[in-house]
Amino acid sequence: MTYTYPHQTPFNIGEIFKFSRLTVIWLSIIFGAVWAACFLVGVAIPFWIDNGFIVNGSLNLFTKFNEAPSDASLIWSNTFRALTPIVAVAVFIPINAMFMVLCERRALALFTVRKGPNRVGPDGLLQTAADAVKLLFKEDITPRGADILMFTLAPIIFFAPSIIGMVPLLAAVTNNHQLFSIVNIPTGIFYVIAVSAIPVVGIVMGGWASNNKYSLVGGLRSAAQAISYEIPLVLSIITVCLISGTLDVVSIAERQAGGILHWNIFAGGALPQAGAHLGAALDNLKNMSTDVTEPTRQAAWAAVNQAWGGMVAAFAFIGCMFLLFGIYATCACAEINRIPFDLPEAESELVSGYNTEYSGIKFAIFFLAEFTNLFVVSSIATVLFLGGGSSPIQGFMDAQWWNWLASVNNWTMPTVPFINSETFFGAFWVVVKVYSLVIFAILVRGTLPRFRIDQLMDFGWKRLIPLSLFLLLAVTFLRELV
Amino acid sequence: MASELITLKTTGLKTDEMIINMGPQHPATHGVLRLLLTLDGEFVKHVEPVIGHLHRAQEWQGQNRTWFQYQALIDRVDYLSGMFTSWAMARSAEHIEDIKVPLRAEYYRVMVSEMNRITSHLLWLGTYLIDLGAMFGFPFYPFREREKLLDLFEAIAGQRMMFNYIRIGGVQHEAPDGWFAKLKQFTEDFPDRVDEYEAIVTENPIFLKRTKGVGRLKKSVAMDYGVTGPSLRASGVNYDLRKFKPYSVYDRLQFEVPVMEGDGDTWARYMCRIAEMRQSNEIIKQCMAQIPGGTADELREKRKACNSCGKEDCANCGGDLKLSGKKQMAGMRIKAGEGFAAVESPRGVLGCYIISNGSDKPARFRWRNPSFSNLSVLPELLVGSPIADIMAVFGSIDVILPDVDR
Repeated sequence: MTYTYPHQTPFNIGEIFKFSRLTVIWLSIIFGAVWAACFLVGVAIPFWIDNGFIVNGSLNLFTKFNEAPSDASLIWSNTFRALTPIVAVAVFIPINAMFMVLCERRALALFTVRKGPNRVGPDGLLQTAADAVKLLFKEDITPRGADILMFTLAPIIFFAPSIIGMVPLLAAVTNNHQLFSIVNIPTGIFYVIAVSAIPVVGIVMGGWASNNKYSLVGGLRSAAQAISYEIPLVLSIITVCLISGTLDVVSIAERQAGGILHWNIFAGGALPQAGAHLGAALDNLKNMSTDVTEPTRQAAWAAVNQAWGGMVAAFAFIGCMFLLFGIYATCACAEINRIPFDLPEAESELVSGYNTEYSGIKFAIFFLAEFTNLFVVSSIATVLFLGGGSSPIQGFMDAQWWNWLASVNNWTMPTVPFINSETFFGAFWVVVKVYSLVIFAILVRGTLPRFRIDQLMDFGWKRLIPLSLFLLLAVTFLRELV
Repeated sequence: MASELITLKTTGLKTDEMIINMGPQHPATHGVLRLLLTLDGEFVKHVEPVIGHLHRAQEWQGQNRTWFQYQALIDRVDYLSGMFTSWAMARSAEHIEDIKVPLRAEYYRVMVSEMNRITSHLLWLGTYLIDLGAMFGFPFYPFREREKLLDLFEAIAGQRMMFNYIRIGGVQHEAPDGWFAKLKQFTEDFPDRVDEYEAIVTENPIFLKRTKGVGRLKKSVAMDYGVTGPSLRASGVNYDLRKFKPYSVYDRLQFEVPVMEGDGDTWARYMCRIAEMRQSNEIIKQCMAQIPGGTADELREKRKACNSCGKEDCANCGGDLKLSGKKQMAGMRIKAGEGFAAVESPRGVLGCYIISNGSDKPARFRWRNPSFSNLSVLPELLVGSPIADIMAVFGSIDVILPDVDR
């Protein structure tokens, strides 16, 4: 009689390895699919049209190269080019959400000494694909007494904002490169906030239209929660815009280039700046020749002291930004109804909350939207606080590094649009950062119980809003002191 | 607090009460309890538990089956603490016929029952955290430890939940080789595991917010309703059958019954159960040290000398070292008489009243279930609390629905 307990500890190297393998494979699938779609729509099809391979929608094999494209064909090819960002988002979102579901289930299994789904496909790779197919073929039930129009519209209104909200972020992720600069708008972050406020309408609609008391309570809770937590969320974003001096997501991301200390969570370069001031003041003092007058020396000392004050302010600034990031993370969790703020769908109280009555494809859309929302808020956090697509160490795994490698090895740089090194490494770092935040959200989900609705309101109105207001004020002064 | 929300007199708007059926098909009602709730906004105005969805006529079944047959069904009365239900019935029958249970069997009974108490409390801990909304993470950790104990149950009784191990007159099997060593290993590890749970749960601010001061059960109310078990001791009443009417070998064991001071809120009930798990672990340790004949492996070695003769006067097989004081067989009878016996189950006082007419079937059978009286106090705790607290409070009194409905 021998007993073995293979999963006694959460630190199970074998499972962690399997999880990492799964992640790498899935991310390659996502990137491959998105890149292929973009290349097809943004490069290949316009090329065919411009060179006369495709004329009036039909194939023409007897084309002459090197002939200037006609006006009509230019209109069509430019239309396809303009469609590239939309195609990118449309391909990315479903595949990404499918992976996030699997990632969440496997990561939770890791945290909770289980194995997670590992039967469909190699090592559970296709689990969510199978789930999606299952949901597609399920009967789409509309409950008796439901408001059919609202009931059908709710998942769409819930899902659509997460797609259109992602579009300006795409420009920031791809460093505004090539055709992706089409989607950049000067007031990007304002647009993102405005759009991210819409899904709650979908939840309330779904809750009300379901003709179910649990759904109704869930929908109303969601409205209350979204209103309370949007204020500190927006205040934290405003503070970041304040130190960046712009609402443009691309500029906010670009401003944080140059290593981890230049990220907004480290006060956007306040520390290196204060350090430079201090270094200059100290150098000035050190290099002073012995025969200077006493007042000059005193002035130099005063400069050093002032620089020290700047250092202290920089550290205080960084503390404030960390708190702001915490506030943003908390409110974002509440915005997208994740544990510990998943009150609208609290299973032990409201069965499944606002989506109790949904089944089949409509439920799948709700599900898809929840995970996409998680991705969107993580991307916003990445662009606003974690430096967007910039590498944490300047000169490592970024365009600069690539150019250095190319010069050392005497490589020829590939000139294909969409695979420019800046875009590639930008996307790489964004995905690393976003998925780190996603894994953190999963870890939180695997740890914390749920708040009660009145405690949630107290926490939002009595703690988070005053704190975020105070931080806005503090940052306003601190950025002048550094 | 609810009344502030009702009528907005200035605008002339009126709000209505909402009546909700929570259950029987609700993911959080631990089976098939139906709560008829009258809600005022998010607050409970009235609550009525509707029971009987899981009624299986356990008592009637007892009267229509032989003693031997019914023993196998008893574990289903309270499926999380089958050892205790078996034990209550066995003690009652032994009381009628004055059967002397061998000492080794008594130690086995105490050991497996305390193990069962731990598994029951562990399952409670996991599901209670789910009730509080920790849906995915922590609840699996208690199940990890429970799994080890279930494996030990499987080894000794052949079953993981429906043990049929404690029989009238004694217990069914000797432990297999290595069982005591595994149990010893478990008892050594277990306090550390409980520390782990406490580290992640007891100190958690959200957990404290959800449980402190929620669902206060006053001492007097608890006693009026006949609440027993950890729920009663959490309200500050020092009442445990193991101490106050020591049965079996509990008078030979050193242990303290954890009693909480103060309000008797859900947090106190949680702490009480955590303390009981530690206490049960200590009891198991003592039993392993005190059991006559030593571990099963040692006893088997000794019995090689007499070739496991099984004679009454054998030093290795008879007397205290037997496993049963009554011969187990399909047509076994208990002589005429009546008897009541109770044990302290993980949920409270579990009693069994039997009238026997000397035939092979009990003439009358009656259970006294702790879950039933514990559930009856629920309306007292819930009125005025928000919806979210319903499951926090209901989960904290640890009700098993088959135990309520029989």
